[in-house]
Amino acid sequence: MKYMLRRLAMFVVALIVISIIVFVMLRILPGDIAAVMAGTNATPERVAALREQMGLNKPLVSQYFDWIGGLFHGDFGESMLTGQPVATVVGSRAAITFPLIVMGMAVALLIGIPLGYLSVRTTNRVVQSIYQSIAIIGGAIPALWGGLLLILLFAKGVGILPVFPAQGFPSTGWANPGKALMSLILPALTVGIIVGATIMRYTRASLQTISSSGYVEMAMACGMTRRKALWHVGLRLAMPQLVSVVGLTFAEMITGVMVIENLFALPGIGTGLVSDLGHRDLIAVQSELFMLAAFFLVIGLLVDLAHRALDPRLGEESND
Amino acid sequence: MTQQNNGSPTPQNEHSSASENTPNTSASTDSSLQAHAKSEKPRSPWRTWVIAIIAVIIVAAAVFAIVNHTRASRSAQQSAGEQADTVTIGLKLAPTNLDIRNTAGTALDQALIGNVYEGLVSRNSENKVTPGLAKSWDVSKDGLTYTFHLNKNMHFSNGDELNAQDVVWSIEQLEEKKYHDYDTLRNFKSVTAPDDDTVVITLSKPYSQLLWSLSGRAGLVFDKDAKYVAKTQAVGSGPYKLAKFTPNNSIELVADENYWGANKAKTKNVTLRYFADDDAAVNALKSGDVQVLAPVNATLAKSLGDDYTVKAGDGTDKYVLAMNNASGKATADKRVRQAIRYAIDHEQLIASRGGADKALGGPIPSLDPGYEDLTNLYPHDLAKAKKLLSEAGYSASNPLKLTLTYPNTYGTELGDQLRSQLKEANIDLKVNVVEFSTWLQDVYTDKDYDLSMVDHNESHDFSQWTNPDYYYGYDNKEVQDLASKALSSTDETQADEDLKAAAKIVSEDAAADWLFNYRVTSATAKGVEGFPFNMNQTVMPLAQLTYTPAK
Repeated sequence: MKYMLRRLAMFVVALIVISIIVFVMLRILPGDIAAVMAGTNATPERVAALREQMGLNKPLVSQYFDWIGGLFHGDFGESMLTGQPVATVVGSRAAITFPLIVMGMAVALLIGIPLGYLSVRTTNRVVQSIYQSIAIIGGAIPALWGGLLLILLFAKGVGILPVFPAQGFPSTGWANPGKALMSLILPALTVGIIVGATIMRYTRASLQTISSSGYVEMAMACGMTRRKALWHVGLRLAMPQLVSVVGLTFAEMITGVMVIENLFALPGIGTGLVSDLGHRDLIAVQSELFMLAAFFLVIGLLVDLAHRALDPRLGEESND
Repeated sequence: MTQQNNGSPTPQNEHSSASENTPNTSASTDSSLQAHAKSEKPRSPWRTWVIAIIAVIIVAAAVFAIVNHTRASRSAQQSAGEQADTVTIGLKLAPTNLDIRNTAGTALDQALIGNVYEGLVSRNSENKVTPGLAKSWDVSKDGLTYTFHLNKNMHFSNGDELNAQDVVWSIEQLEEKKYHDYDTLRNFKSVTAPDDDTVVITLSKPYSQLLWSLSGRAGLVFDKDAKYVAKTQAVGSGPYKLAKFTPNNSIELVADENYWGANKAKTKNVTLRYFADDDAAVNALKSGDVQVLAPVNATLAKSLGDDYTVKAGDGTDKYVLAMNNASGKATADKRVRQAIRYAIDHEQLIASRGGADKALGGPIPSLDPGYEDLTNLYPHDLAKAKKLLSEAGYSASNPLKLTLTYPNTYGTELGDQLRSQLKEANIDLKVNVVEFSTWLQDVYTDKDYDLSMVDHNESHDFSQWTNPDYYYGYDNKEVQDLASKALSSTDETQADEDLKAAAKIVSEDAAADWLFNYRVTSATAKGVEGFPFNMNQTVMPLAQLTYTPAK
């Protein structure tokens, strides 16, 4: 309980610090939204009129408190450009990015854990080095190249096996779940293969440490085969580490899949953030960054809690 | 590492044993352990994974089948030979909001002017002024008083009456709030409504471009009584009403059944969809998701078969290679600027873009007043370029070093081509592609650049060359005098001649290089009628658009 409270207090302090950093950093950037909206034929008077109208002339401190005050009420503000509530915009982008990440992660786990497990299980050196190469090559594939390759293989119009749409998200959105899902399969595969290689390496590394740590030997002494000991005892012991890796990778992927979103022309969180920043839509950008930071922190918290649930020894130690 | 012999990697036999359900912890002999292990083989972890993978494949296949099925049934519904009640148009640059009074960008003009909003006067696809809300107008002899006679019984899409009061209010708001393009109404003095059908605009000095300016954003008429959020909604008097707007994605229009004028919309629903990616756009056209594509990438358009009409239309897009004329820069030296112009092979640039674009030798494109073919002033001539550069003090051992800074919306190819072309004239060009907002700050506002490149697509924008504070930094008294004479002239032919002379001086001075006049190539599916090919990136009236699928 005390632990939880302490973590929560840290959470709030971290959020406030982040809000200040984000706000200040964005004000340092060159360019402003009034100039973007006014375009290339505008007179300086026109830009000044827009700045006035959008409240960009107000002192920075009061702009900051306007924003943070809204945040306390759960109001993330409105995009200065589109006039839409930032929360709504992020919601609609998350409806693409999150399914993409979840699908990508599913692919990654389906690839990574079995391969990682198999690479430790085998005692054949040749086979071991084959697994090793898979992990290295998989992790070294540039996302763009991997995605393009998949497009060339499976996309309609260009692919050898034209099954999936090459690019874009259907304008009907999730109202047509089949179509929406189809447009996410190639991107999810691209993400999954790359992240899968990472998961495989982590699984392999932690299983290897465990297999030489005595736990597995103990289990075998109790009558398990090595294979069984690795599966039941080894993987179970590797679980806390894997949960951290999966949790943090998940958080990282929210912006990490940006390259993939760009390649497949999916209007997700990453591409949205880049275009908002390009327009210098500062209220939108700062609220989006703030939400992302908060999300990272929440994931960190959940990972910590999951750790304690999976490894009861941690709880005992910190209760001392 | 523990590598006992019982970790054998290959399955050996399948004999089962009575000890199958024996708990692991129970003491057992070595042989029964082995037997136990092997009997578990069918439940090995592999099985779970195999089942999971098969399940995923089955689900994917099912989804695929459903999707294909729905698509097939949908296309079957669209009966051939009858006019479709929905036409979808694929466009490129998406508007970020609908606030046409505040937000720059021709994407808004293209989508809304003539469709949702109407102006006092309008513009046809030859870029000439035609009647709009005003059916006719008189201009006083001294060119100071314009009297507009409005159509009768006009109303907005919300039912509100549209009369002279709305026109006066719209123009007064424009001036007071300094809305977009307010500065195009030069010498504006006042606007009054003597009665409900007449509007009088008076000027302090004659201004020959007034009518043309009023055919753009400055002349749009808004409902003074309507309350709506301008960024996401639109209330106008045009043949179409706004049905739905999704920023950066689509605009859905629906015909206004009660449109006041004769030019009623022929198609009930028109959807504008925006594709940032050229390939995706062409795929959408081929798959029938859109029936019109404007623009279509000129190279990709060649892959379209006979079922499509592909045509390039004239426009006022000028790809300007801006050179910083202000003092302190290498490009302040006229010889350097001339050398750059001689060094550029325009034909090659145009050919590599698909060949649809037109060479442009000066600041005025063919659809604007004052046009004259100036392409012969600076033909591609490397020898002349080198000679001019050596006069200016540069040589192969001491090459001229310049930086080209331009917004990333134009891709990297043009920059690369210019670098290799200029290299042949011993100019060492560094290409710096930046974000648009960074460009606006560094180049446009702070004028911290050598060379830049932008598609200046606005029409009638010669005043850029008469304002020394514009980012070109071009300051020539003679040009300024000629242009202001043209603007205040009441004689159209004389104004044209003055503009022509001014444009020629700007080009001779090598104030910039005009890479080409971008001509938008559009493609329409067979059965599409009434889509404007000319000027469709700035004026795209859709009332006449129809689509009748072939039998």
